[in-house]
Amino acid sequence: MTATLSLLKLSQEQVREKILHTWSSAEKSWVIPIHIGPLNLSISKIEWFLFIGVAVTFLFLFFGSRALRNRPGAYQVLVEETYGFGRRMLGGQIGPEGMKWFPYTLSIFVLLLVLNLIALIPNTYPVTSNLSFTGALAILTFILTQYEGVKRHGLREYLKSWVPEGSGKLMAPALWFLHLIQEFTKPLTLAMRLYANIIAGHLIIFVFLSFILYYGIYFAVVSVPLAVVFYAFEIFVAVIQAYIFAILTQVYIELAIYGEG
Amino acid sequence: MGGGIFDVTNTSLVFWELVSFAILLILLYRFVYPVLREQIQRRQAAIEQAIEEAERTREEARELLEEYRRQMEEARQEARRILDEARRQGEAQRERTKAEARQEAERIIRQAREEIGRERDAALREVRQEVAEMVIQAAEQVLRREIDREEHERLIQAALDDLEAEVAGSVSGG
Repeated sequence: MTATLSLLKLSQEQVREKILHTWSSAEKSWVIPIHIGPLNLSISKIEWFLFIGVAVTFLFLFFGSRALRNRPGAYQVLVEETYGFGRRMLGGQIGPEGMKWFPYTLSIFVLLLVLNLIALIPNTYPVTSNLSFTGALAILTFILTQYEGVKRHGLREYLKSWVPEGSGKLMAPALWFLHLIQEFTKPLTLAMRLYANIIAGHLIIFVFLSFILYYGIYFAVVSVPLAVVFYAFEIFVAVIQAYIFAILTQVYIELAIYGEG
Repeated sequence: MGGGIFDVTNTSLVFWELVSFAILLILLYRFVYPVLREQIQRRQAAIEQAIEEAERTREEARELLEEYRRQMEEARQEARRILDEARRQGEAQRERTKAEARQEAERIIRQAREEIGRERDAALREVRQEVAEMVIQAAEQVLRREIDREEHERLIQAALDDLEAEVAGSVSGG
């Protein structure tokens, strides 16, 4: 930053490069190259922050579950409340059988929350702003949804349950087709929503700050307060988007279990 | 494609994501969630037990209070009863004493009256005796002769009767 301060009044192209620096450079930083056949499984800054997030998630819950006492301290209450939150707010949205999936969605919630919050630390990589990451997670949701639906109803009944009861012979195929599309748009929107929210939040902050590079140091009077406001808002977005992803995963799975009738 | 802000086909990220997420799930399902569930259930049971105990204790306290109230009420009634009894007994005692005193007084008055009567009779008898003798002597001296005994007695009797009538008249008159 000190170097850039002396190079005030950058060109638009240079500013654009600065804004996108986090995303364009991550894949080339901190690299451990691993190539298996045609597959590139190299570990870069992106994967490192994924691992950090997973580790923090596990350790946060693990130590909370180890130091259990009957009169809990603040940390234990936090962990227990996290678990209780999963049981009350995530599990059993539609029916009691959905309860068995809440540990999975709770794991997603905590992991996404940790990744979102880590992403707010400067100079990290926001893993949840990567479409490959959110896409893979959404595809997992899709697979689990179809698995539960087929397991519960059998393939024929499950495909039949896509059409609402009482729809005429003429309408049924159209409705079924609409539902088929919906089954695929669900994970697509799931992935896009999280990715877009997180990347947009970061981009807005970077754009506000980049005005300083473009208009000069005095623009900081406007840019910094605005960036701070959006930074605070991003904390809220980090929580709410993690929750939305988790609860929609839960709801989709339970919808497959109970059908839509 | 790959890289930048539209990083769709990042195979290494997807691969490592699935691996690390799977490991995370295994670890959490194995080491964390059962412990937390158990702990929460245990605490819930403990809290339920505590609430139950508190309710039982409160019930007991309520019963005890009721018991005390009842005993207190009983004691108060007992006290009132004893007081009433004492008052009634006192009243009766006073009545009885009064009656006894009245009877005693009447008895004494009656005795006194009888005594007076007896005394009067005795006095009258004496007086009569005296008077009779005096009359006899006086009559002897006046008549200076012996009257036969029978006549004598008759005269005395007549005189006494006169006297008696006179005395009785003066007593009833006086």
